[in-house]
Amino acid sequence: MRSEGVQEISVDPTLVGVTFPASSALDDAVGEPTDDESPVRASKGGVVLNVTGLSKRFRSGPPWRRRQVDVLDDLSLEVRAGELVGLVGENGSGKSTLMQAIVGLLGRDAGSIDRPARLGYCPQQPLLWDKLTVAEHFTLFATAYSMSEADGRAAAASMLDELQFARYENYRVERLSGGTRQKLNLALALMHDPQLLLLDEPYSGFDWETYLRFWEMSGRRRDQGMGILIVSHMLAERERLDRIYELRNGRAVLL
Amino acid sequence: MTRTLAFTREQLRAPFTLVLLIAVPLLFVLSAAGTLHDFSSALGGSLAGDAAVALSAGWAAAFLSGALGFFEAASSRGADRRLALAGLGAAKVAISRIAASITLATVAAVTAVAALELRGGVAHPWHAVVAVIAFAWLYLAVGVLVGSVISDPLTGSLIVVFVFMLDVFSGPGMSANAAPWAISRKAADVLIAAGLGKSSSTGDWLALGVSTAVALAAAFFVFALSARPRS
Repeated sequence: MRSEGVQEISVDPTLVGVTFPASSALDDAVGEPTDDESPVRASKGGVVLNVTGLSKRFRSGPPWRRRQVDVLDDLSLEVRAGELVGLVGENGSGKSTLMQAIVGLLGRDAGSIDRPARLGYCPQQPLLWDKLTVAEHFTLFATAYSMSEADGRAAAASMLDELQFARYENYRVERLSGGTRQKLNLALALMHDPQLLLLDEPYSGFDWETYLRFWEMSGRRRDQGMGILIVSHMLAERERLDRIYELRNGRAVLL
Repeated sequence: MTRTLAFTREQLRAPFTLVLLIAVPLLFVLSAAGTLHDFSSALGGSLAGDAAVALSAGWAAAFLSGALGFFEAASSRGADRRLALAGLGAAKVAISRIAASITLATVAAVTAVAALELRGGVAHPWHAVVAVIAFAWLYLAVGVLVGSVISDPLTGSLIVVFVFMLDVFSGPGMSANAAPWAISRKAADVLIAAGLGKSSSTGDWLALGVSTAVALAAAFFVFALSARPRS
């Protein structure tokens, strides 16, 4: 979501099979679009998210009774293009904090985060304007993603169709059910075809059919080369994921 | 422009916003001016009848704009930040949000001046218009500033009300010795003069413009700072 590219990348070439020049940034790892390939399909396997030594602590209380909670402590993880990576952990283990730090909603106390400029973020609680319609949300976010008016309209139509909530296009968010809000929340993160997609429990409120469709969508995008990091709780979902990190004592442990 | 229109629509779709934008200035100007005069006398101030009527329009617009600015900034903070992080940037979101608030604050100010006219008019109506708009924009800035750092509705609105009360009771007219730090001091000076049929000095007009611009710039800066990406 940052407009600038990624400054540094440190990737083990043996893992990804390609060598990344330090100046290429993650955007280059994805490659230029071609006639028959989507932008993300071009370089499946490149690292699209690299978190190194990330620490985040929260402080509360007055100075003479200051309490400090270390939520993330020297955490490292990576996500590659074409991977669906799960993030699990107990309540309060720091999953949402990690997501927010990656996106830039929260600052960090230490560590580095290398991520592409074209990022999609679906927060746990839908961050929407209650009085604006679904269509108005798409218009605003299309502008934010620097999409042309035509591309924005096409992307919105595609999202409405794929998540099957086109009939609510002109409804205000305040009149939508929780599940439909969550669809919009997800659609806004996906509409610009991001290189990296961060999903923080995106399916809360979905009915079973939508839940299954969500995993189909995620799998399809993963196959097209999108890197996806998803906060997940359910054991049944683990077989859908390529890799799983568990947050333990502030660190990401690969399961 | 699209964003500003969307944000303005967002506020106007709240069921009572439009009603309040019209009703509050109207009722306040029509009913509170006499009370203001009594307050002023009790506090040792020198607010004459006509000046009290004119000043009531400024305070009505100020109070409403402060509340609007606060709730507009606080209630949509999460979505605004998401939009900024999505690539629009904090500055553009801040400009759109403040521009939408300015639109609504101006509506409140114009309604307040219209109420003044209904009550019998003011000696220098155009001076009054500018001064009441300045009142509205100053307090809009206060509201946006508070709403950018405090999201809790009760805490935030209490702070805006506290600032308003402090300003009202220490400003010119209400106090024998007006506090130099009173936020709306220059706006009140110009409005009182307009009510009494006097012209304000160039220095007063200049100070009014500068104080309003500084307040809006501060609101923009704090809003943008709160919506910026963290690293």
